[in-house]
Amino acid sequence: MADLEFERRLEREFAQSAAFSDEAAFCRSVEARLNQGWTLRRWLIGASGVTGGVIGASQLFMTDFIHRVADLSQGSTRLLESSVSQIRPGVSLLGLVSTDQIVVWVAAGLAIVAIGFVLTRVIEEI
Amino acid sequence: MSGLQSLVSHHDVDLANLAAAGDRRAFGELVRRHAAGVRSLLRRMGATPSEADDVAQDTFLTAFESVSEFRGEGAFAGWVKKIAARLYIRRIRREKRLAMIAAESVGEEAPLQKTDAVTRMALDDALIQLPLGERMAVTLCYGAGMSHSEAAEALNLPLGTVKSHVKRGLEKLKARLATPDNSAPTGRLAHG
Repeated sequence: MADLEFERRLEREFAQSAAFSDEAAFCRSVEARLNQGWTLRRWLIGASGVTGGVIGASQLFMTDFIHRVADLSQGSTRLLESSVSQIRPGVSLLGLVSTDQIVVWVAAGLAIVAIGFVLTRVIEEI
Repeated sequence: MSGLQSLVSHHDVDLANLAAAGDRRAFGELVRRHAAGVRSLLRRMGATPSEADDVAQDTFLTAFESVSEFRGEGAFAGWVKKIAARLYIRRIRREKRLAMIAAESVGEEAPLQKTDAVTRMALDDALIQLPLGERMAVTLCYGAGMSHSEAAEALNLPLGTVKSHVKRGLEKLKARLATPDNSAPTGRLAHG
């Protein structure tokens, strides 16, 4: 019984701690290391996102993606126009739909941004 | 500033939940509450002041990384102290100092450490007179809240060895703390 009482007393005394003169400095240094780690992680995530975006973009260009999309776009426009001309002869879609390459460039740019965003989110989740 | 003041009134579990959601200010409040407890524990385990501070810092960084694992089933103080104890043991194992603990080393006393603590407790004075193995085993079981099995696993010692370290350590502490000079602790209560 006396042993149990002593053990309880010991637990209480262990739960107490000495006061340290440099407590505030110690806490600041821990917070600084936490912030440092966080900043580093954000930079790494950002850098990984940008790298992923650049790699994705370069892959798109290297596989001649823009010309393929342009060809595909022209093919689908022709198909659509022939369908429309069957229904309404004399109406041309060329006047309504621009197949200019600028559209493809804008789409490619948006795709790069989207890939970068997705990669950033994925890495953040990991 | 008002945000910090509002955090002071939060319970440890709420702060841990906020920290798990990425709130570093909430975790900073937990650090303020438990830093002294963790640093004291490490010194009681036999760490030098600078060693204790290094391990305490690593402890809080590790705790922040894994704070989502803290479910609030026990006290945050106990959870973070177990992390600290394991990190310290890993460190001394790396430095091959753990062999000293494995040895029974009866009668061999740990060297007295100078401390920058403002207050010293009777317990601290009694602990530093114990052989390292006994001191470590008693501190793990009564300071870090480990069971004998957990302490044996952490120290990589047979359960029987840890039990005998604890038994002998308790007997010595009881004798030393029973003297009138050692009856009143001069420290302060840790939060949580």
